[in-house]
Amino acid sequence: MGGFLPFSLLLLLALFGPNLGHLEAAGMGRGFSALLNSVVRIDVRQVNYEGGTKHFDGSIGSGVILTEDGLILTNAHVVSPKAVEVSVTLSSLENVGAKLVGWDHWTDLALLKLDMDEVARRHLHFTHASFADSTKLFAGQTVFAVGTPFGLTRTVTRGIISNTSQYFDPERNEDGYETGLFNTWLQTDAAINPGNSGGPLVTEDGKVIGITTRGYTGANNLGFAIPSNTAKEVVAALLKSGKIIRSTIGIVPGALQDLEDFYSLALNTGMLVNSVYPKSPAAIAGIKAGDILLSINHVTIDGRFPEQIPSILNSIAQQPVGTELTLTLKRGNKVQDLNVKTEMLETSVGEERAFDKWGLSVRKISRIYAREHGRNDQNGVIVIGVQPGFPADMAGIQRGDIITTINRTQITSIDVITAAHDLFTKKPEPTLLEVEKDRRVAFVIIKP
Amino acid sequence: MKILRLVILLGLSLFVKRELLATSLPDMWAERVKSVVAIDYVTETEDERRMSTAYGVAIDSEGTVILPSAAISVRVDPKRLSRFRAYVPGEAVGSPATYLGQDSYTGWHYVKVSKLMASELIPITKWMAPKTSKKLGLSDFVWGIGLRNKEEDFIPYLMQSHIAIIESLPQVTAIAQQEIAGPGLPVFDEAGYFVGLATSSFAQTYLQFSKMDRVGSPVMLVDVEESSAFLVSDEVLPLLDRRPEHVSGRPLAWFGAYGLEPLDREAASFLGLSNQSSVVVSEVLEDSPAEKAGMKAHDIIVGVDSVDLPRFRPDRVSTEYVERSVLKHRPGDNLKLTVLRGANRINLTVVLGDEPKLIREADRKYFERLGLTVREFVYADAIERRTSVKSISGAIVSYIKSNSAIDGSGLMSDDWIKEIDGNPVDSFAEVIKKLTVIENDLKRKEFVLLVSRGTETAVLRVKLH
Repeated sequence: MGGFLPFSLLLLLALFGPNLGHLEAAGMGRGFSALLNSVVRIDVRQVNYEGGTKHFDGSIGSGVILTEDGLILTNAHVVSPKAVEVSVTLSSLENVGAKLVGWDHWTDLALLKLDMDEVARRHLHFTHASFADSTKLFAGQTVFAVGTPFGLTRTVTRGIISNTSQYFDPERNEDGYETGLFNTWLQTDAAINPGNSGGPLVTEDGKVIGITTRGYTGANNLGFAIPSNTAKEVVAALLKSGKIIRSTIGIVPGALQDLEDFYSLALNTGMLVNSVYPKSPAAIAGIKAGDILLSINHVTIDGRFPEQIPSILNSIAQQPVGTELTLTLKRGNKVQDLNVKTEMLETSVGEERAFDKWGLSVRKISRIYAREHGRNDQNGVIVIGVQPGFPADMAGIQRGDIITTINRTQITSIDVITAAHDLFTKKPEPTLLEVEKDRRVAFVIIKP
Repeated sequence: MKILRLVILLGLSLFVKRELLATSLPDMWAERVKSVVAIDYVTETEDERRMSTAYGVAIDSEGTVILPSAAISVRVDPKRLSRFRAYVPGEAVGSPATYLGQDSYTGWHYVKVSKLMASELIPITKWMAPKTSKKLGLSDFVWGIGLRNKEEDFIPYLMQSHIAIIESLPQVTAIAQQEIAGPGLPVFDEAGYFVGLATSSFAQTYLQFSKMDRVGSPVMLVDVEESSAFLVSDEVLPLLDRRPEHVSGRPLAWFGAYGLEPLDREAASFLGLSNQSSVVVSEVLEDSPAEKAGMKAHDIIVGVDSVDLPRFRPDRVSTEYVERSVLKHRPGDNLKLTVLRGANRINLTVVLGDEPKLIREADRKYFERLGLTVREFVYADAIERRTSVKSISGAIVSYIKSNSAIDGSGLMSDDWIKEIDGNPVDSFAEVIKKLTVIENDLKRKEFVLLVSRGTETAVLRVKLH
């Protein structure tokens, strides 16, 4: 239940600064020089539904080419399914289009594919980088970050590994997507700035050991990267099906540190269950907050420190959906086995849409959102933007309101609103909405 | 006091021109000031005692005084109120008074002053106008009483103005052109008859300028010392005898709908409700009289006791109208409501219940060594947490003393304690019992709580120093 960390994702939202062109590899051997030629700048144009209208905005990030057939790894907060145009700048300064293969906001990674027809047609060349084992890193080891900070193409900065396994409480990115449940971070003092996002963190011989993702703003040299071993798993899964399907049982874990005595546990045994989501598999199986999870399928677990928790959650996540897990739990003095059938991990972020005639943009209430907010059902949409002076604004609808019915019809899917909006577009007539504002209900009329 | 003197002089000059007056304004003033009282009292919390001041009028010869609703916060348990003292305006020394409770319908707080003081007071009813007298109307001259603060011995001063507007809000309220009396203090007409009781004043918008902001940004301000609005005497006199039966203000009629909201005008006319106000029910509470009567969330209340809601301005007055219709009754009474549900008008008869225990009434206990106050989990807590009222159990953290043993454990105000040392606590008594053992065990190094916050729970370890 810690406070939110003053993070800013390292995405540069506006293009400024000139392209400084090719940087000389600083005499660090062939491996490093090849790596430099595999790092790309990524310019993205993406759809944005905020503000009551569908519009597009641009941003810049970094990426690294992984294969000779043009797969590029970057951050999920650089390229997401909202991207409508992705332009990659190779080390030769040539621009090539690319498409999203798949993304995973939970680990903040995304995989792109260069337009290889265009590459062949224009006789473009690039090198590709390879991964090293991130578990072999040690604090103090020299590393380099390569990327496009503030749009400064292929900038190399040097530092050391400050921590091989930094933990952060799970967070949500700017769009509300959950991130950080399943991995720890490599911490480095190599200078990392907005625009570095998605670029590689590499060893002296040019092997990728992490993907630069976040940093503290206003601090000196506190940068963080997703470890290459996490990235390897995610890349493999995204290549296979374009998405990652994970299992979950619906618990919020906690570190056991200093509570071993209280629970009469041997040191380095077990993980605390801080919370169980209602209606989740764990709740159905009878797991309760305050239980100690001792083992999963009879493999003992150690959740003494927060840093150890992501890998435990990841071991659950990697089970096929619907797997029956045997969890050994301690409650009071009693130790018991409970069987839990995993369910698919879903985001709380529902589908978004904008209704231009009304100046209204909304996001569907998802199953998870309903659960997190104690709502009885998934009906309704959350207002994520209103355009000033447009009918929705004039009706008094505000960001954060929840619209539950339209013309007396329950909003069971976002298509219900789309249908009403289509009708309004063809024949503008007053439309009745039921809106919840902080649990208070208002009936409002959207007028032509 | 220069300004005051000026005001009084102005009043005098006005009086000179009004030959119709039976007696002089200063004479009337001197008598009627004897109907007003200043009260101060103390609100005690875990670590402070806060003094507040309010003004009221005497309503009978026994020394019963009514104070306006805003004089005492509705959130405060009357048990935390103490040291009531009453002051005759202009006198430095007060005498002890007793708090009798708040009437839920009028919102008035009742206080009883000492016998000696009662003998010096003149009840406001003495200034009642004869039935034949003319009704208060636009532009009528009115005057009222204000009181300075305690440092100035609550010196009374005169205010006067003319009626600018009379509106149903939903009680008939007159608004004068300028401030006319201190909130809770009386207003009179030119013949010296009681015409009303000043309410809290309305917020006024001012522009605030600064070196940085030369354009000015609007700020809403409420004058807490003087008001231009007053409830007309017809809304006051028939209700004076609503002295609470108990200091708690109970019995309290309960209906059980959450979030009554006025229906937007456009929406109302869309639904064919153009000539009246109406009120949307946001939620119908579990196990409430409204639920038992068949009321549903999003029903629109269009009538009370077989009468359509009148048309109110502003719209929000309509919710107060419905709330007052409930509070006018006693538990067990029937309340007839007409609601619009979809296209249908449905008549419901609600058998009003007893208001469930309020947060301010919840039992509470302060643990000094721990630096923690816990209070009973009550009905409203279940509603706020969107949990079933059948799950009422445990206790709510209502206060954490800074730098205490418990401060820094991660425990926060409003956390719901569900387990202590791994054992579920099903009742408030159990929480008290367990915490008392911990509080008194000086060898105890730590204890563990399971608390619920929002939709999650967490295990917290409290180290005792």
